[in-house]
Amino acid sequence: MPEQRLPSTPKIPLARYLKQAKDTQPVSMVQVTAPDAVTVRPGTAAAFASDDQLDTWLRQDAQQMTIVEIPAGFTTSAPLVLTGPADGGGVLLIRVGEGAHVVLQEEWRSRGTLLGIGVQVQLAPHAVVSWLTYDALRATTAVIKRTADLAAGSQLNWTVAGFSQNSGASLVTVNLNGEGAQATANVGVLASGKQHIGYTTAMTNYGRKTRGHINQRGVITGSAHLIFNGIGHIVQGARGSDNQQENRVLMLAERARGDANPILLIDENDVTAGHAASVTRVDKAQLYYLMSRGLSYALASRLVIRGFLEAGLAEITDPTLKQELFETIDETLVNENA
Amino acid sequence: MSTLEIKDLHVKIKDEPAHAEILRGVDLTVRTGEVHALMGPNGNGKSTLAETIMGNPRYVVTQGDILIDGQSLLEMAVDARARAGLFLGMQYPAEIAGVTNAEFIRAAINARRPDDDQIPIMQFLAQLDQTMATLEMPDNMADRYLNQGFSGGEKKRNEILQLMMIHPKFALLDEIDSGLDIDALRIVAKGVNLQRGPEFGSLIITHYQRLLDYIVPDYVHVMKDGQIIETGGAELAKDLEKTGYSHLKAGESNA
Repeated sequence: MPEQRLPSTPKIPLARYLKQAKDTQPVSMVQVTAPDAVTVRPGTAAAFASDDQLDTWLRQDAQQMTIVEIPAGFTTSAPLVLTGPADGGGVLLIRVGEGAHVVLQEEWRSRGTLLGIGVQVQLAPHAVVSWLTYDALRATTAVIKRTADLAAGSQLNWTVAGFSQNSGASLVTVNLNGEGAQATANVGVLASGKQHIGYTTAMTNYGRKTRGHINQRGVITGSAHLIFNGIGHIVQGARGSDNQQENRVLMLAERARGDANPILLIDENDVTAGHAASVTRVDKAQLYYLMSRGLSYALASRLVIRGFLEAGLAEITDPTLKQELFETIDETLVNENA
Repeated sequence: MSTLEIKDLHVKIKDEPAHAEILRGVDLTVRTGEVHALMGPNGNGKSTLAETIMGNPRYVVTQGDILIDGQSLLEMAVDARARAGLFLGMQYPAEIAGVTNAEFIRAAINARRPDDDQIPIMQFLAQLDQTMATLEMPDNMADRYLNQGFSGGEKKRNEILQLMMIHPKFALLDEIDSGLDIDALRIVAKGVNLQRGPEFGSLIITHYQRLLDYIVPDYVHVMKDGQIIETGGAELAKDLEKTGYSHLKAGESNA
């Protein structure tokens, strides 16, 4: 077996994080609220695919392992709620059966020193998945990799809301394996305080006529540093495929630092691909408009920032969660301005 | 009665200090109870005047003053001017995602009220429903994001909705009629007319007499080359419709 390599994460010191001691004390499994047809059981390391050195690191001495099976043809509009353990990380594997239609709501509010979190979602042919990931981690450092593997004709609409307090790396990986698979990955991140956090969102077209879109939005306050890498890759043979990405970062403080790195790797001719990236400050025209109605600078700023992040979080329809996100934005900005 | 006074106002664009003044000595007094129309060719300073009164940071006042009831606005931030009674219906309202129209309007009303006396939500919603019905706006516009994806006409109507909900002392309406079909124009004018009264004054910027058939002004001013060169009653607008602006004398050169 050839030696495994680390995934590409430009500007994110992944190797340095992995040299530190990972939290390994056992914790309870991921808590799953779902109808009876969905099975939940403890996993073994062997069940988790390992494409790279990071996968191997995550499954080794994982604090818990959970496997969730959603049967073929299963359909529900009520979200399946998956809550990570409060005091640790671990790995989670979700298999979505052929033709199933599900909404996954995955939440982590875990504490710890150096958490490893791995989540893999496998979509069987023609499965349709709406996946909401909400990270509100309170750990010091976390290294997270989430992977979605899409079989032919499957569809994934994925929103990642990164509202954690930890530093570290977060990888969002989508593999469009089967013909006609389609995925959108929306990532909205709020970085504050002294956080140093990097997101690498990778979308790879392996199958023909596959379509993958990345949309990342980040807001940075305080002296936080946020890195957004977007990696769009169309491999040879993935004819008729489309890969698009947009990475936008809004900096609110003088000491805030932001990077937006779009990377496109195209190994096939008959494809379409594009990218856009920007690192900006608050839109003055929007601020002026809101203030012209009497709103204070502080309130107007909060609303503009909310609007900016909304573009990454638009798919979140759960009103309670959305309210929590907005409140977190407001509290963070109030604290930063205090 | 309140008074908005513009005194010998000279204005430049902040980022272009070498550029000539856009406003070159504007004098104008608007009292509550009065509707003034400001007409004139494009590019002669009408919007600059409205934006400068509101406090748009793009513009810098090089001479003169703007006062409400004798108090200068020049040192006041935009939001403080709004709370002092000014409202600017903009030509190009900004679009803001993530903030619903209703939420925004409520915040604007509450910004004018003390923290311990915010508008009760039911009272607010009742007022909003009623005002939207007056403006023939569909219910869902309250829950849509602020101006986002609104058509040109919807944006203009939404400016008037805000005007009617906020009840300012002085409304500056910058080309509120542009891009409106005749039905929308009638509705927008109805909204403005409902505000008319002893507590409300307005400065309406327009190119067209058409709007002034619906909102009959007490005074009409013509601006050219950064100065008001002629003032008259409602009949002046009708004359201009026939003759155009070209025969009017240009402002004095500042060269």
